Amino acid sequence: MAPKFSQVWGKWALLVLPLALGIYILWPTYRAWQLEAERDRLLRSGDSVALAEFEQRYGEALRSAKQNALKLGLDLRGGMYVTLEVDVVKLLEEAAEREAVDEIFRQVIEETRRQAERSDEPVLDIFLRVFDRIARPQGRSLISYYDVGDLREVSEEKILERLRRNIESAIDQAQEVIRQRVDRYGVAEANIQKQGTRRIMLELPGVTNEAEMRQLLQTTARLEFKLVRNNEEAVRAFYAIDQYLKRQRGDTLATAPADTTAGADTPARTSDTADPYAGLPEEERQRRIRQDFPFTSLFVTYYVQNDRFIPISYQRGEFPEGEYFFQIPKATIPEFEAILSRPDVQRLLPAEYEVALSAKPDERLLRQGVEIYTFYVLKREPELTGDVITDARATFDPTTNAPIVLMDMNAEGAERWARITGANIKKKIAIVLDGRVYSAPVVQSKITGGRSQITGMSSIQEAHLLEIVLKAGALKAPVKLAEERVVGPSLGEDSIRRGLLAGLIGFGLVVLFMVGYYTGAGAVAIFALLVNVVLILALLSAFKGTLTLPGIAGIVLTMGMAVDANILIFERIREELRRGRSIRSAVDEGHKRALAAILDSNITTFITGLILYFLGTGPIQGFAITLMIGILNTLFTALIVARAFIELMLAYGATLSYGLPRQRLVPVA
Amino acid sequence: MEFFRQTNIDFLGKRRIIIWISVAITAVGMLLVALYGLEYGIDFVGGTEIAVQIRPEPNIAQIRSVMDKAGFSGAEIKSYGRAEQFLIRVREREEGGATTTAVLEALRKGFPERSVELLKSDRVGPKIGAEMRRNAFLAVILAVVAILLYIAFRFEFFYGVGATIALVHDVLIAISAIAIVHHFGILRIEINQSVLAALLTVVGFSINDTVIIFDRIRENRERYKGMNLIKLMNLSINETLSRTINTVLTTVLVLLALLLVGGEVLQGFAFTMLVGIITGTYSSIYLASAFVVEFVQRFQRVDLDAEYRKLREAERAAAQA
Repeated sequence: MAPKFSQVWGKWALLVLPLALGIYILWPTYRAWQLEAERDRLLRSGDSVALAEFEQRYGEALRSAKQNALKLGLDLRGGMYVTLEVDVVKLLEEAAEREAVDEIFRQVIEETRRQAERSDEPVLDIFLRVFDRIARPQGRSLISYYDVGDLREVSEEKILERLRRNIESAIDQAQEVIRQRVDRYGVAEANIQKQGTRRIMLELPGVTNEAEMRQLLQTTARLEFKLVRNNEEAVRAFYAIDQYLKRQRGDTLATAPADTTAGADTPARTSDTADPYAGLPEEERQRRIRQDFPFTSLFVTYYVQNDRFIPISYQRGEFPEGEYFFQIPKATIPEFEAILSRPDVQRLLPAEYEVALSAKPDERLLRQGVEIYTFYVLKREPELTGDVITDARATFDPTTNAPIVLMDMNAEGAERWARITGANIKKKIAIVLDGRVYSAPVVQSKITGGRSQITGMSSIQEAHLLEIVLKAGALKAPVKLAEERVVGPSLGEDSIRRGLLAGLIGFGLVVLFMVGYYTGAGAVAIFALLVNVVLILALLSAFKGTLTLPGIAGIVLTMGMAVDANILIFERIREELRRGRSIRSAVDEGHKRALAAILDSNITTFITGLILYFLGTGPIQGFAITLMIGILNTLFTALIVARAFIELMLAYGATLSYGLPRQRLVPVA
Repeated sequence: MEFFRQTNIDFLGKRRIIIWISVAITAVGMLLVALYGLEYGIDFVGGTEIAVQIRPEPNIAQIRSVMDKAGFSGAEIKSYGRAEQFLIRVREREEGGATTTAVLEALRKGFPERSVELLKSDRVGPKIGAEMRRNAFLAVILAVVAILLYIAFRFEFFYGVGATIALVHDVLIAISAIAIVHHFGILRIEINQSVLAALLTVVGFSINDTVIIFDRIRENRERYKGMNLIKLMNLSINETLSRTINTVLTTVLVLLALLLVGGEVLQGFAFTMLVGIITGTYSSIYLASAFVVEFVQRFQRVDLDAEYRKLREAERAAAQA
């Protein structure tokens, strides 16, 4: 007694349409997977003719399929996940007028940095609070440190307004610059987003050279051309630092007459005059030198005369006019920098000078196994900065064969560059990138045409990275890596395999249980479950979500939970059947009465899903999303699709026992 | 097939003893957590963790000596999943995350004749770690409170409290179980984001059984007006027993699949959920309603027990007659 189609077509539609829609949405995913497998096979076989043919025939299809395919998370496809934090504190620090910066301001910055380390509150708010607490009681205002340019209109609000704008633009600009760098480096499907008040999140699928990527992201790329001031004034300042540190230590020991001040590991320790510490045991000798020259013993100072490097002593405190040269072993750099960063020490250095280390250790000495850096005393104010650079190219120097980056400047830069080089012939100009000196060549002649080059890279790859960052431009504020996760491709594949296997086994077990326990109705629940899983994947794909490993776990878990709704209904129907209702009315009653429990239990799980989504990150959000989609689908498939199926079966005259022994059932009325 | 046919178990008669036993077990569990300690993943404490595959596999002592030589003394080295896979956790040494590269270089130099492949690496700054810790704590509290409010709204306030106590019990037992299996090296589970996700899902899921029972209690209260609450609850728990067990069973099945074949990354998740939902079923049956009865007796000043005893006696007498 088949029912008229006009009576059941709606139910048929409920069975067929959701499944058809899901499969339609997932078709590109399947197609992309299939085509990629084929391409990989060709790639492995090395058959370039077949590969080219494949590209020509299916390349476009593959690209469009991939565009609409379900995206896999980084944990499944491999790649790099990075959170960068824009150093807003540094920006605030650098925005202040150099001459105005005093101890109070440093304290404010220090405290702001400390607090910003621990919260995601906007840095400017923290800064203002700290400023109010520390600086204002001591009679300072923002006007004391910041300049708004127009003297007639100076006001706190103006300054604040400008700082706020600067910070915002620095973060937006950082995002833009980073995006350009990533694009130029060639990462397909990179995802870059602003996160919170000062973070940038990057998802970089397929990136395996994490060291290069890290360098690419972290470089501020602030390029500066600065005059080298390795002169007697600098050396005198170093001498003053020695004296100051000794005085401060309260060291009243008479200084031993010494001619050499060479530090422990410096290669050039030789001196033709007698060693005043001679005869002392080596350990004691080192100790005494360290004590007598607390600062200058950390490095070696040479006097440059006719291209000869003569090591000099800080003993007498008299230094000839001329050019000097400094080398420092890697081991003492931390102490060297610590001393130089002290504000009281900085005062001993001429205000317009600064000290900068070389980017790389001396290559010749490195081959002998010692890591020795060079440092330079530079004029603080740069002669020219990187924003005049219009183009950069990594290449090899034709004469030395060393990797270099050639740069072109715009007209204004070229003009200034010509003037600067013209005025400093036979002098050194340091090329400084992010505070490190890459090279400090001697200007041979006036350079016109705005050409310049950077040397000092250890490989052509490094030169390439430099080319990319120079083209993309400098960051207004430095960025720090706050979080970094790398997943290698093999782990991702392994995860997919294992997740799929777990899903299949879990599905099989659920099928066994449901069909074994509830027989025909159990099979209906399994059909609903299939529709459910297809729809979860389809919805994920349609809403451009990504499937992560925890997401797979969420789907597998949904399999276990989705049938719960059916179990609740089936148990209720069994109960009604035991009470002697006919199957027809038991089905109606069962659905009606189970509804409240189903809704309540799913809503509670949904609530935790929401909380997970808002408080979790990355992959965990993936789990939360699949869990929530799974719950919504479950309500749809268990309550509507499965019901339609059962109604249809009843309409076509099937008997459903819900796993109860036949004899206990009342025949259909 | 039918597992349970019209059972008539007195779940609430001995509820005081059951409550005290549960409290004792939870307390012992918490004591073990304090004693053994939990291991937090780098998600929550910050640091660098690198998983590598070295073929053919060296032993851990060999890796340690290579790491020590490279200056990474004090690195934690453990096996990870398969025999040739290792997890190395190091303190941050290089600036800006270069540690991963340094470790890989050290391993490649130390094992020149083997292949060293990076499986994954995670570096979490201390600040992000602290934030995640705070969010995790907040998430669990929020979830519990949200559920309390929802149940209190859908049922009655006491029911919300009873369900919440059962939930907290489940979460604590799950945490204790993690501490125990980790301590005895049965499974290497550290508290990380996916374990947190599992704990939250436990909160959302183990409540399901409780909801099923409460829902039936509500329905039966309409049907049998004036019935003694203990008797009513026992009836409702018995009536819903098979669906309570069956719904959990299907979830247990898929979780077992995840635990056994899902791989290292999902192990902590699957284990935590497994323990959480099994205790969730226990607490739904034995604890949630028991606490509701206790609250009603205490705050509504009715001696349900005395009434219930009388009813039982009458039933027994009727049965004998």
